[in-house]
Amino acid sequence: MLIKESLVSAITSIKSNATRSFLTSLAIIIGTAAVIAVIGLGSSAEKALEQSIDDLGGRTLYVSPGQNRRGAVTKGMIPLDIKDAEALARNNEHNWRISPTITRNRQIKFGNANINERVGAYLPIHFNVRGYDLEHGRLFTEDENYGRKRVVVIGSDVPGELKTNVKNILNNEILIAGVSYKVIGILKEEGSTGWQNPDDELYVPLLTGAQRLFGTDKVDSINVGISNDHNIDAVMMTIEEILRAKHDIGPGEDNDFRISDYSQFADLRRQATGIFTALIAGIAGISLIVGGIGVMNIMLVSVTERTREIGLRKALGATQRVIMMQFIVEAILLCIIGGIIGILIGTSLLFLFASLNDWPYALPISAVIGSITFSALVGLFFGIWPAKRAAKMDPAVSLRYE
Amino acid sequence: MIIKTKNLTKEYEAGSQIVKALNGIDLSVEKGEFISIMGPSGSGKTTLMNIIGCLDSPTNGTYHLNERSVSELDDDELAKIRNEEIGFVFQSFHLLPRSTALENVMLPLKYAGCSENEAIKRSKKVLENVGLQDRVKHSPSELSGGQQQRVAIARALVNKPSILFADEPTGNLDSKTGNEVMNLFKDLNNQGQTIIIITHEDNIASQSNRIITIMDGLIESDTRN
Ligand SMILES: Nc1ncnc2c1ncn2[C@@H]1O[C@H](COP(=O)(O)OP(=O)(O)OP(=O)(O)O)[C@@H](O)[C@H]1O
Ligand SMILES: [Mg+2]
Repeated sequence: MLIKESLVSAITSIKSNATRSFLTSLAIIIGTAAVIAVIGLGSSAEKALEQSIDDLGGRTLYVSPGQNRRGAVTKGMIPLDIKDAEALARNNEHNWRISPTITRNRQIKFGNANINERVGAYLPIHFNVRGYDLEHGRLFTEDENYGRKRVVVIGSDVPGELKTNVKNILNNEILIAGVSYKVIGILKEEGSTGWQNPDDELYVPLLTGAQRLFGTDKVDSINVGISNDHNIDAVMMTIEEILRAKHDIGPGEDNDFRISDYSQFADLRRQATGIFTALIAGIAGISLIVGGIGVMNIMLVSVTERTREIGLRKALGATQRVIMMQFIVEAILLCIIGGIIGILIGTSLLFLFASLNDWPYALPISAVIGSITFSALVGLFFGIWPAKRAAKMDPAVSLRYE
Repeated sequence: MIIKTKNLTKEYEAGSQIVKALNGIDLSVEKGEFISIMGPSGSGKTTLMNIIGCLDSPTNGTYHLNERSVSELDDDELAKIRNEEIGFVFQSFHLLPRSTALENVMLPLKYAGCSENEAIKRSKKVLENVGLQDRVKHSPSELSGGQQQRVAIARALVNKPSILFADEPTGNLDSKTGNEVMNLFKDLNNQGQTIIIITHEDNIASQSNRIITIMDGLIESDTRN
């Protein structure tokens, strides 16, 4: 009954000073909105990242050239070549998909347009390994690879960059480094993954690229696609065994190649996003504390204004505890209302921002509960002092107060 | 004996000066008395009422309320006494402006830990006793001065106090409504309620059965009619 009385009196007081209450809780509103929006954006970004990893349909390991060190002497980079990839492909212990890549920048011409763009030479399986989907036309085939055919699949942004459209470029010839290639397919928009943009790239068959375009059988890297249920350490061991044998590396000597895990990049990125989110949310949280000081200030004003009311309540038998509770409840309520409004604003902002960026919309419920709890705690903390002041008032003196 | 004080003094520090508001008050009040306290402004009437109403503590002297020594009580116990033993009525009514008549009257019962239903029932009954059964849901601004004061009286009575204190209860009322309030007090006193009122008006004081005059913090006269 007393709690209810405190609540009723708090609501009455907040309502009777609606404008003042709103202005007071503005800092709480802004702070909560910022915290919610930032945490929401952070988890939306993380979810977007997870989706793009899931799209790969498993994990991808990434084998790249490394240093050849015999003892203390470094002999420069030892390249990986197509034969290494073939050796890996011959093993089917892990049911993996081996996809070597060679990428270079080349001059691309179509009509009057002339751009410098990344061209990659890949096996047909590459699209599968990376989870790239086709939008128009078709992908190249194994036969076209072995036949070193001059065909090219292009990223979704390429037609635009060549100042043309899908209709005009599909099944037409473009010039890559002065030689004509037939555009047989256009990929769906994939979105940048951070370190490269697949939408800008042109894709030719591996052997076509190696012999006709780049004149090398040295590959930049070999992608190894495995499904999620494979033991990543065992897979790495097998890769090591095969390549060490191929490169004639004796026991005790270091690898002359490196194996990295794409999901490690993802983990790093997730970590960075997490730290960034926590940082910004922390800064926004400070504005909640600043808001708390505002609440304390207005509660002190309220206590002074209501001196006679406090005197009266005491004359009617209110104990110090009861008076204290009344004002603390008011401060907490003020902050919680601010928190709720802030959450509404923050989620709207998040929704707006996420849909503008085409991100999945994610807001952890713990962030909502957390920010309500935090604003309630701010109210409690900054309400205590004014409430104590009210509770300690001398009833006789407060009744005389004009 | 409800009230028994011995040599009550009260000093206030106002800046560097010490104001002696009470200079040694010996006062005994029996159950069922209807007392008027008179005296010029600043003579110490309100101060005395605050002390015997347990709103304030004396600088010196002893005070027994219902045979209990008040000076030995802590803050919570004093709050309990104010809640259960004492009812206050003030010159300026002191109603909570945003609560209804009923809610105002219920307040002491809430502090007493009474259940909501019980509090509503008892408060309505007391409002009926002061003739306000039709104004239960009205807020103070919707009531006349006399009605507001009757709400305040109902609030003072709702927890069945042993003493009702009224500090110039008719001071803000015209003489007609003032008389109505006085008639209410007389009725209550006839039912056995002990009442102490502070007043400046002789015709109000003459309606009580004992008049105490205070001058400079001392009892100057104490007459019974
Ligand atoms: N809190 C206080 N601090 C300092 N002085 C005070 C305080 N309260 C009362 N006084 C002084 O004590 C004296 C008695 O005051 P009190 O209010 O009891 O007079 P009163 O008889 O009720 O007067 P009135 O008829 O005007 O209400 C006055 O001189 C007043 O100025
Ligand atoms: Mg007075």
